[in-house]
Amino acid sequence: MTQPSIPLAAMPGSTTAVVPPQWIPLGFMFASGVGFTGVGFSMWFGADKWVISPFHSATVTTAHMVMLAFLTTAVLGALHQFGPVVGQRPLRSVHVAAWTMVGMIVTGWTLPLGFAHGPEWLVATGAVIGVTTVTLAAWNLSGPLMSRSGGVPVVGLRLSVLYLLITVSFGIVYAFNRQEGWFPLLPTKILAHAHLGILGWLGLTYISVSEKLWPMFLLSHRPSSRSGAIAVGGLAIGVLPLALGLLYTNPPAAWFGAVFVVVGLAAHLFSLASSVRHRRRKLELLHAFLFVSASFLLVGMVLGAIAALGDVDASLRIRIVTAEIAALASWLGLAVIGHSHKIVPFITYSMLRARGVNNHKSGRPLLFGDLYNKKIAWGVLGASVAAFTGIVVGTLVDSPVPIALSGILIAITAITVTTNFIVGARSATPASSTSDQIRQRPSSTSILTKGPS
Amino acid sequence: MDETPSTENIVERAYDALRTVWDPELAIDIVTLGLIYDVRAVDGGVEVDMTMTTPGCPVSDSLPAEATIALQNEFPQMSVWVNVVWDPPWDPSRIGSDGSNITGVLGGI
Repeated sequence: MTQPSIPLAAMPGSTTAVVPPQWIPLGFMFASGVGFTGVGFSMWFGADKWVISPFHSATVTTAHMVMLAFLTTAVLGALHQFGPVVGQRPLRSVHVAAWTMVGMIVTGWTLPLGFAHGPEWLVATGAVIGVTTVTLAAWNLSGPLMSRSGGVPVVGLRLSVLYLLITVSFGIVYAFNRQEGWFPLLPTKILAHAHLGILGWLGLTYISVSEKLWPMFLLSHRPSSRSGAIAVGGLAIGVLPLALGLLYTNPPAAWFGAVFVVVGLAAHLFSLASSVRHRRRKLELLHAFLFVSASFLLVGMVLGAIAALGDVDASLRIRIVTAEIAALASWLGLAVIGHSHKIVPFITYSMLRARGVNNHKSGRPLLFGDLYNKKIAWGVLGASVAAFTGIVVGTLVDSPVPIALSGILIAITAITVTTNFIVGARSATPASSTSDQIRQRPSSTSILTKGPS
Repeated sequence: MDETPSTENIVERAYDALRTVWDPELAIDIVTLGLIYDVRAVDGGVEVDMTMTTPGCPVSDSLPAEATIALQNEFPQMSVWVNVVWDPPWDPSRIGSDGSNITGVLGGI
């Protein structure tokens, strides 16, 4: 059985006409896999410092590896694919997208290396490159994200990119403050930066994107998407006052923001439950990732509430807050790994089809499921859950052993998941010839869409 | 000299052509998946009404294009119209029994 092989970009109504070349998002995802490996080694070697203080240079190094080299690189890569799809408009420049990828890789490694080993100018240099890169990305993504179509996900993504700009603005000020000493970098100021990045940028992006991805991947026909709108609105409104409240040690502002954030995150969890309830597919790998990812979000929310309301001493409070940040990063990390098992095969499939690879080596049409090993993917799920659990527990009980073991496990997991996708893509057999399948095209061809799109 | 194909023949060949288009996520061809609502032989061409599993899916978005290509390859001298419709909405009950048995991908809640 053969499939047609005329390039889909030539067809009216195809999203392939607006998305960038596949090597752009795949390049980001590969770089994120390498960055995740770096996170593992950084955590392994810095585990003993991690329990000494979350503000130790080794801990700050690992935190920035997680945020930049792993999560932001992956999320920006996904946005370069997803933004044009939902906005139905292309990026402003493919060249800028490529430079953004290079800039993210440089930033994701330069800044942490500067924190870990110095010299101090390396931190400032990494910060400048980071701000430049993010500004370029925001300009480029504004092309598709300024589209009037796309609904709640597009609105959420516009705001999340704005939060990314705010986060890196904080970052560059903090980076230069290390040399200039403009103000004391109190823990609350660091927390403001962390919550802006995790909730305002990465969290809001994930919540916005999931409102589009979950109905698609779960074949979910929900009666209402109101919970998704509340989730996006709650986070978009709440993160800024929360961060400002932390920054200026203003509890009313922080509480005002926190209430909106909690409502938003709760609505996000409700949206997940609704999508699962109204799904039209059996439970599969992605659902498992979503469930454990959501569990870490719940843990993070509970830890955040304990840190804010609990009658605990300062030392324990710092550990709880560190564990909260680790749990929130685990929420997003698992979400990224889980969704990568849908997104990477989809983009790889498009790339192979564009090269004329239509069939699996068995002869039947190529499928997404051919592009990675499912048993290995389940193993990745188990290993990553164990690793993230080890980090949160190790932080809470103040023990470097689980954190070091988690670091080793993360490095192994990152290498495994990246290799799984590369080997999977190579398993597809190139078609012997595609030109003989292309025949003269008729004089009249049309695809009409009636109703919602 | 070519004979003009009958209406029944065109429809049958169109369905066969459409069976070569698979949903790469669900591993089922789009006819068995129940995405094809109607195939008609019209004056000088073939017209298809099809739907998608869920609105806004970038994967499903490529399926009408692939369906069009499959029909073009089958009827190179004819016009092809593929209409994407949403009424009635697709649901799993539209899957042919062979599809659900072969793949086991879809299931109830």
